Amino acid sequence: MMKLLNTLLKKELVDAIRDKRSVMAVMYYAIGSPLLMCGIFFMLINKFSSPSDLNITIKKSQNAPDLVRYLESRGITHGTGEDLKAITLTISHDFAKDMNQGKPATVTLIADNSEQKLKSSINRVQRALQGYSSEMASLRLIARGINPAVVQPIKVVMEDQATKQSKGSFIFGVAILSIIYAVFICGMNHAIDTSAGERERNSLTLLLSHPLSTRQIVLSKVLAVTTLAMTGLLLTLLVSKAAYTIVPWQELGFTINVSFEFVVLGCLLALPIAIMASTLQLFVSFFAKSFKEAQTYISFTLFVPMMLSIATSYDLAPDTLQWLPVSGQQQALMDFIKGKAIDMAPLMASNLITLLLSIGLILGMEKALKSEKTIFGL
Amino acid sequence: MIEVKHLSKRIGDVQALDDLSFKALNGQITGLLGPNGAGKTTCLRTLFGLLQPDDGVAEIDGIDVRKDPIAAKQQLGLFPDPFGLYERLTPREYISYFAELSGLSKAQAKDATERAIQMLKLDDIADRRCKGFSQGQRMKTALAQAIVHQPTNVILDEPTRGLDVMSTRLLRSNLQQLKEQGHCVLFSSHVMQEVAALCDQVIVMAKGKVVAVGSPEKLCEMAGETSLEEAFIKLIGSDEGIAA
Repeated sequence: MMKLLNTLLKKELVDAIRDKRSVMAVMYYAIGSPLLMCGIFFMLINKFSSPSDLNITIKKSQNAPDLVRYLESRGITHGTGEDLKAITLTISHDFAKDMNQGKPATVTLIADNSEQKLKSSINRVQRALQGYSSEMASLRLIARGINPAVVQPIKVVMEDQATKQSKGSFIFGVAILSIIYAVFICGMNHAIDTSAGERERNSLTLLLSHPLSTRQIVLSKVLAVTTLAMTGLLLTLLVSKAAYTIVPWQELGFTINVSFEFVVLGCLLALPIAIMASTLQLFVSFFAKSFKEAQTYISFTLFVPMMLSIATSYDLAPDTLQWLPVSGQQQALMDFIKGKAIDMAPLMASNLITLLLSIGLILGMEKALKSEKTIFGL
Repeated sequence: MIEVKHLSKRIGDVQALDDLSFKALNGQITGLLGPNGAGKTTCLRTLFGLLQPDDGVAEIDGIDVRKDPIAAKQQLGLFPDPFGLYERLTPREYISYFAELSGLSKAQAKDATERAIQMLKLDDIADRRCKGFSQGQRMKTALAQAIVHQPTNVILDEPTRGLDVMSTRLLRSNLQQLKEQGHCVLFSSHVMQEVAALCDQVIVMAKGKVVAVGSPEKLCEMAGETSLEEAFIKLIGSDEGIAA
């Protein structure tokens, strides 16, 4: 039994390694997805953090030199050139006169509020103007012998309880999803090639004509596809480990540290998922009539784990999802990277469900390979 | 020895095998001759347990295929139609892979593969990947796979299809050699010449049934014709689906 399984597995692996498409699938994903994630992080950083100098148009600045100096000290300057934002601040003619007389002096802020990209800049200008305004108010009260604190009945003290790591929960979810997804993508091509492809090339009947049990055939194929999937996962983790170091995390306020421990834990937790992904893909492809048809069916099956995983990233129904395949393991990995303790009961249950599903699918395939319909694709 | 007794099999609306019985003996070449759609391939697939008969028994060396498929298949070598090569393996890898699957140890498989390569004169292509092989090269690789583990029984499904004269001759001489070594050779064909030239026993099939059994000469005698072709047409009652 073991000797034959060994022979079968060896041949499956040689076949897979010599198949350019299978190898390229692993490589593209393992190198591409971490780099893509890094790209997304860089974009997020650009979006979240306002540039240090905000260049806007300030009209009639000579009317309020003191305000302009104040804005300058807050990094908001009258500028020209490329990074000039479409925000215009116009100071009224009577600014100085109104100021002197203690009347509200008018400044006009002109900007498109519906423009998402400008929002943070507009807020920043508004905050700066309010800051100037309350500073002026305090000075006026002091000049009249009144403690400025009387016009501040409530003092709000904000204590941020979020640790640096828990802030980026969603981003963690997406990053871990992209890593776990490797086990679905990297083995896929070989899963199709060795089932629907094997039948299409007429070697399936020849294989079944040899003195082997269908269990040996199915197990060898599952092991081969799982090996590819896990190789892809390990590569993805290692490339992520290297690539994530170049992301300037301090600007996002949290870090995704792909530590050695995380790589080991990731491989351990993804193993049951990889086995399930392989059996599922083989199962579906054995029932497809051709390579092309198998590709179509498999893209449907990719959808389910994707949904489970995205739901976990968005923190939807975490109490249910932590017991299920894919989302359970993802939850555990997210907890680990956030520095929280992993809840073992749901993780074990989720692993068990994952493996039971795989066993069910393996038994299904064994049966299918004894049926004329599957063998000849009727 | 291969023996089928009262095999019946329905596929969809077609009665592919209809109470089929025959025997193929060791040290003989037996031809399964019939027009396209006579049930030849269905019959061979039943021998390998790929199809389950509705009724009847298929035995390899006295082992019921249905009861002990693994033991039965160990006594069989298959030359399939189509060949089912793995294009990314070399013939050497391919042949030795199937030798190991047929139960040989790694070392035995290596020796047996070398022997098969020598026998079929595959040396020049033995270590090239099968992708892009000519029909003749594919045939030789497939045949080497079928005989590498020296099974008592060798089954060939339409072996000469698409082969040129040289390859056909090589195949014939190899089948003769197997016969002399005492193997039981069973092949299906719808090509007259091939059957007339090779077979000790011809089983004429039509519509899933055995129509006549005997040596080519005996069949001619039975039909009262001088050529096997004429005899064949007379026996099956039509000239549909026959290649001369």
